[in-house]
Amino acid sequence: MKIKVTSLYVDDQDRALRFYTEVLDFAKKTDFSQGPYRWLTVASAEDPNGVELQLALNSNPAAKAYQQAIFQQNQPAIMFFTDDIKGDYEKVRGRGAEFTMPPTDVTGSTIAMLKDTCGNLVQLTQLAKW
Amino acid sequence: MIQREEYTPRPAYGAQIRKDGEKWTLILVRELRHSPEKVWQALTDPAHLREWAPFDADGNLGTVGSTVKLTTVGAPTPLVSETTVTRADAPNVLEYKWGGFDMKWELEAWAGGTRLTLWTNIGHRFIAMGAAGWHICFDVLDHLLSGIPIGRMVGPAAIKFGGWQRLNAEYAKQFGIETPNWPPQVDQK
Repeated sequence: MKIKVTSLYVDDQDRALRFYTEVLDFAKKTDFSQGPYRWLTVASAEDPNGVELQLALNSNPAAKAYQQAIFQQNQPAIMFFTDDIKGDYEKVRGRGAEFTMPPTDVTGSTIAMLKDTCGNLVQLTQLAKW
Repeated sequence: MIQREEYTPRPAYGAQIRKDGEKWTLILVRELRHSPEKVWQALTDPAHLREWAPFDADGNLGTVGSTVKLTTVGAPTPLVSETTVTRADAPNVLEYKWGGFDMKWELEAWAGGTRLTLWTNIGHRFIAMGAAGWHICFDVLDHLLSGIPIGRMVGPAAIKFGGWQRLNAEYAKQFGIETPNWPPQVDQK
């Protein structure tokens, strides 16, 4: 078994695709539709055959309640890793993204938090070098 | 009588698209050799829908105001959407939503059979895929009503058996849109 894809609920798939590709620089990987279903994934441009992130339409009331609750608790719905959190913070902020936390040192890493415009908080993480 | 494996859809036909900003509507017209009453039953009765439609219904779609759960068949993760029938003038006009799509069916008596028109809005990138899928579904429906069912072909079955990829390319060409990249040409390893 492999970890090939992980899923994130979004409240608008077109807006999510714009955010994750144009603001965070991921690359669209798979996009197809079957009736009202749309399977949409992105992958890191630095690792195009790596783990995919599925941007799943949140049309499920239970999932919506969960998404809103963890958003209100400032919990990230997903976490991405970078080798240059300060550089990425400036770059992504320059593209209009709204950060709720600038790069901040925590135990073992530096983290920052931003809104994905689709109902989620995203955490950027740079591991500390010891 | 044809076997499922022998089924080959005819080239793309009977389709139009109407563009209203970002909202595109697919309009598919089919002439079926079956009465409107018979076609109506196939469009509304869950036992009939299960034989040809791209979704399963947990109740009859033939009554205004009834709430029915529609399960998209073959979706990569389960998708159930609840719908309310907004119009059901048997055996002529049927309207409800499938997920975010408006579905309007019109049945007109025609030469001893039925001229069936479907209006459905689909994101413009996927409209050729939708036309190809409905093309195959309508062929399966026609065989079913003729008493020679070839079995539902939706999701992976359509892609495998139904000439779906050819139809997808044909409708994309007719509509003047790019052929969607599906099945993906990228390395899936």
